[in-house]
Amino acid sequence: MATSFCSSISMQAPFSATTTRFCLNKQATIFNNEKTNNLSFSLRRLMPARLAVSCAVKQETVEKVSEIVKKQLSLTDDQKVTAGTKFTELGADSLDTVEIVMGLEEEFGITMAEERAKEIATVQQAAELIEELVQEKTA
Amino acid sequence: MGASKLSGMQKQVLSLYRGFLRAARSRPIEDRKRIEMIVSTEFRHNSKEVDRKNFQYIEYLLRLGTKQLDQLKSPAIVSLSSIKVVTSKT
Repeated sequence: MATSFCSSISMQAPFSATTTRFCLNKQATIFNNEKTNNLSFSLRRLMPARLAVSCAVKQETVEKVSEIVKKQLSLTDDQKVTAGTKFTELGADSLDTVEIVMGLEEEFGITMAEERAKEIATVQQAAELIEELVQEKTA
Repeated sequence: MGASKLSGMQKQVLSLYRGFLRAARSRPIEDRKRIEMIVSTEFRHNSKEVDRKNFQYIEYLLRLGTKQLDQLKSPAIVSLSSIKVVTSKT
């Protein structure tokens, strides 16, 4: 896990400008956290970079997941789908959730193990699992 | 789905539903849409009409569905259609 994070960071390095641009808001939060940390712990300096990269990637995935969920449930654009939104809050029953998961699989070109797919209840959880599976696939 | 704990039988139903959707993927787009529509309608109809405590009937439907899914996976089957049949649930 740590190894994959390291490789992920190194791959992102050439695009640091873009990453910074996308993460301006998150960056502020990270810096605020850093102020409360003891500066003598040099290892903690690595955390903001990891979080920044992680946030950048997941934001894109979350947005894509949200689009698919809206399409699957025939929601209007007025309906707000955020990372923390539960499918049940959008009026999805268990059959709807199965359809959403199948739609996500097709969009991202992955196959979710049924046991793991059952654990998905929010957009965030779906995005996290997708990230994990896409990484496994490209590895 | 994650919040509420599903019974074993419910999991079987969802697993069967997934199987149908997967099988539909390998079909040409027109067939696929019709298959998905038929399957979705059938599952939702049964989820409303069938008593959750009627385990015997649910098990029967699961076996029937599994058989139909196996047929659908066979390349020999060209298409899928549905006919309204009035059956007694005694």
